[in-house]
Amino acid sequence: MLSLLHAVFVAPFADMAAAPAFFVEVLIGGIAAGLMYSLVALGFVLIFKASGVFNFAQGVMVLFAALTLVGLIERGLPVVVALLATVAVMVALAFGIERVVLRPLVNQAPIILFMATIGLNFFLEGLGEMVWGANVKKLDIGIPDESVKVAGILINKLEMSAAATAAVLVAVLAVFFQRTRIGRALRAVADDHEAALSIGIPLKTIWVVVWAVAGLVAIATGVMWGAKSGVQFSLSLIALKALPVLILGGFTSVPGAIVGGLIIGTGEKLGEVYWGPLVGGAIENWFAYVLALVFLVFRPQGLFGERIIERV
Amino acid sequence: MRVPEARAPLLEVDGISVRFGAVQALQGVSLTIGRGEIAAIIGPNGAGKTSLLNVISGFYRPTEGHIRFDGKDRTHLKPYDVAELGIARTFQNVALFKGMSVLDNIMTGRLLKMKGSFLTEALYWGPARRQELAHRAFVERIIDFLEIQAIRKTPAGRLPYGLQKRVELARALAAEPTLLLLDEPMAGMNLEEKEDMCRFVLGVNDEFGTTIALIEHDMSVVMDISDHVVALDYGRKIADGTPAEVRTDPAVIDAYLGVAHA
Repeated sequence: MLSLLHAVFVAPFADMAAAPAFFVEVLIGGIAAGLMYSLVALGFVLIFKASGVFNFAQGVMVLFAALTLVGLIERGLPVVVALLATVAVMVALAFGIERVVLRPLVNQAPIILFMATIGLNFFLEGLGEMVWGANVKKLDIGIPDESVKVAGILINKLEMSAAATAAVLVAVLAVFFQRTRIGRALRAVADDHEAALSIGIPLKTIWVVVWAVAGLVAIATGVMWGAKSGVQFSLSLIALKALPVLILGGFTSVPGAIVGGLIIGTGEKLGEVYWGPLVGGAIENWFAYVLALVFLVFRPQGLFGERIIERV
Repeated sequence: MRVPEARAPLLEVDGISVRFGAVQALQGVSLTIGRGEIAAIIGPNGAGKTSLLNVISGFYRPTEGHIRFDGKDRTHLKPYDVAELGIARTFQNVALFKGMSVLDNIMTGRLLKMKGSFLTEALYWGPARRQELAHRAFVERIIDFLEIQAIRKTPAGRLPYGLQKRVELARALAAEPTLLLLDEPMAGMNLEEKEDMCRFVLGVNDEFGTTIALIEHDMSVVMDISDHVVALDYGRKIADGTPAEVRTDPAVIDAYLGVAHA
């Protein structure tokens, strides 16, 4: 019994202290992975904030953006041109979604809009496969997936650039939501469509803006994940990893998505390395979901979510 | 019936009909609201009062008829265009942004008044900062006026019903409307809250010169505060005049007491 307690509560920390450089490497790996999760979660938060819709298709949007980019590069377009074209495609997609899916469903219950995004999910998946094919594709953005030693600590270049991209995006979006007029309008639209219309917010424009921004975030996510693990249909499943991040951070909070991602990223890496051997490994696969369950029980609105009490 | 005394017309509704499938919500309703007056729209449940308000604020498209506001035809406008014209409204069942603070809710009412580039706003810099502060100052005046200083940081969804209605009025006022449409501003309130609300409605009319059209069920309130009363029943206008005239109008009495229509 005592030895078990020792193995769980003492030995791992002793290991960390014994090899600090390795500990820092694990921590950095965790932070980098966490920011990648945050990036996925951000796409959800944006759309949830602005339309109260949980966008089931966010994962597929990531896949679709990555497929489009790789497909265009494969057809011989220079990377920059292909990237701009992908941006154009995602913005066009936002216009299309507003016109075909959202506009006819104004003022419907959130569950209806959620169902519509499930439909969108299948549509985009099919469209992506039809246009770009179903093979695994390699995405080379010019940053090698290799490590360098900085101050005695191994750092992966690709992970670092992904982390930097995520950090910049997050900062820009946080400012956008908190400070700008459009940010306030977005929050208003998320809360009540009718009221937003009555104070002069054009729903259409707001929706196009927010879906376009979510599309851009999807491109960034797709590029970073695609460069790491190849562009393939399983890319759309990273959306599953975003769910626990959202539950931790709160569905309506941009900073929450970041902090949630960081907690999950570092938690699962540290857990895997230091506690993994105790249970035979694979902590990385379930850590996020168990943590999310704990949060659902004790703090369902997440760390930063808005707590809305409905009066009956 | 008499046309309300010589006020310049602000809103002219001419022969408006609204139909939902087989249901005729409004049928050839015409009325004029003069600049600076407080007009009340009354009628039994289902008379078409809210439909009329929804047509004026652009939420419903009339199947027939015309609306002129400030001398210009504006029959088929979208709600946000209507807001831009200077018409603000509240809702029967309170439509606040529940997750946002009272202050933020009221600030959204000023969105149309805000200008500025994206970048300066994002950096909260120079003109953007001055602008935000100026709007804050205006909003604080409204908060003082409606006596809701104590709740300015509270999320709107947590407030009791009476206060939510007051915050909704504050948000509408923040847009500095020329015409304010209030859909049952006193429904579900106790006597004290009703008296407060009456005071505010009269105060808004007096202090800001805002023209007000309100739907109300409480006849004593209607008689006390309005200059002009329009009565609807089964989607048609049955009376239009001063409170005293409408109160004694046999058609109105019939509608409320349920006398069979011949």
